[in-house]
Amino acid sequence: MSTADDNQGPRYLDAHLHLLDRQVLDVHGVPVAVVDDLELSEISAGQEIPPDTPPPVITALLSGPALATRIFGGRPPESRMMRTPWVAIREIGVVIKLSVGRDTQDLSWTERWVRDHVIGRIPGGRHTPKDEESQQAKGNQRGGS
Amino acid sequence: MKRVFGLALGILTAIGGFVDIGDLVTNAVVGSRFGLSLAWTVAVGVLGICIFAQMSGRVAAVSGRATFELIRERLGPRLAVMNLGASFLINLMTLTAEIGGVALALQLVSSVNYLLWVPFAAIAIWLVIWRVKFKIMENVAGLVGLCLIGFAVGLFLLGPDWGELGRQLLQKASTGTEKTSTYWFYAVALFGAAMTPYEVFFFSSGAVEEGWTTKDLAESRANVLVGFPLGGLLSLAIAGCAAVVLLPELIGVTALSQVMLPVAMAGGKVLLAFIILGVVAATAGAALETTLSAGYTIAQFLGWPWGKFRPPAQAARFHLLMIICLLVGIGTLMTGVDPIQVTEFSVVFSAVALPLTYLPILIVANDPQYMGEHVNGQVLNSVALVYLVIILAAALAAIPLMIITGNGQ
Repeated sequence: MSTADDNQGPRYLDAHLHLLDRQVLDVHGVPVAVVDDLELSEISAGQEIPPDTPPPVITALLSGPALATRIFGGRPPESRMMRTPWVAIREIGVVIKLSVGRDTQDLSWTERWVRDHVIGRIPGGRHTPKDEESQQAKGNQRGGS
Repeated sequence: MKRVFGLALGILTAIGGFVDIGDLVTNAVVGSRFGLSLAWTVAVGVLGICIFAQMSGRVAAVSGRATFELIRERLGPRLAVMNLGASFLINLMTLTAEIGGVALALQLVSSVNYLLWVPFAAIAIWLVIWRVKFKIMENVAGLVGLCLIGFAVGLFLLGPDWGELGRQLLQKASTGTEKTSTYWFYAVALFGAAMTPYEVFFFSSGAVEEGWTTKDLAESRANVLVGFPLGGLLSLAIAGCAAVVLLPELIGVTALSQVMLPVAMAGGKVLLAFIILGVVAATAGAALETTLSAGYTIAQFLGWPWGKFRPPAQAARFHLLMIICLLVGIGTLMTGVDPIQVTEFSVVFSAVALPLTYLPILIVANDPQYMGEHVNGQVLNSVALVYLVIILAAALAAIPLMIITGNGQ
């Protein structure tokens, strides 16, 4: 697996070490999710694989209720998992950075629900005091660099 | 000049913020039963928290990653979930104890039952988290917490036999009526109180909140290395006061008023007022830290947006979670459970959760992918490894000792 890193040759990533359980940040540096699982391109299960089949590639990062199944075994239904397509990834480092904004992703519907129905309705829930703005920008920039 | 001021402020905040309800109660209990013979555990604990708080702050400043993100990455989901469950529950227990501590201190001032103060204390804490800037929150709580120096003043005013206190320092194991197992039980409790895991969650997340970079490292190191040991001296002053007044009279500490009794005897009303202010600030400051830590741990584990530097609406689940934790804290206290007992449990369970928290920090602090040139040096690594052994021993011994001694009875 290699990512589109401009100034380096192909990089080798250990899916377990460099992808799973890593924090995903959107284009603004806002946390989106943690990688719970990976989606691989089709290989038919239970059949013998012909010798010259191309190796499977990672098509998406999955987040969702996979924690319990990773610990206890089994698989959550695919509809419950939320996908981040591999092409949306901009950079893989100590965090995984996306090239898209958070709300274009389906990933954080719970976050949006709580924001719109609970926290956003409490007075002061949306305030950004002036001197906190610079801090915020700073925090976002450094998000994981 | 501004740098000097910033440094002084940071150190003062670290001193004032070091002591929380766990330190207050455990040190007074130990002082009243064992004198200063357990002072060495405070010293060991303080050095330990210095090393690991500084390390977690450095990791956060260099890599931008807070502690619980690393715990999940490095331990994998299975161990991390165990750690999350344990840390979160202990943190919730500590949070409950701290709110109880604020309410008990306010009861001493007002003679209004502490249960009536609990909701007000919790709402005040929520309002601070909701509105007040991180830096102001930390500095005010820390500076007012400095009033706890009254314990040191009180100790001097009591005019103790310093030779006797010195002998207690060197006394090993138990004497007279106390059993050896009880002695070690309180050694573990004091160690847990000094090294409570929420301190590193808060410290590393705070580094991200304040946007630390490698330039801030020297200052943060100075804050920790000077401020925490001085805070530890305050802990010892609390134990010392109890050792001078309560130990000879065989008075056991079961209430916050008994913690302050020696100071009231030594310095009268003025010093007592001073101390109560200090206790309110210290426990409220710690309540803020534990509430935020509850949010930090879960949000970092699950990858939610978090932090006070964002408007609440942009970290919605993080804020909702903290509100729920405060409500659980209020509910628990309203059952009439004794906050002092909750505190005693929380420090012992803290000791149990220590290894899973500190190991990942040490691993990542040695990973050049995160740390670049700022990886740990060899000396630091060897000291940290020695500490891991101590921490592991304390964690394994905590529960058996608790059962054998009937929770230190």
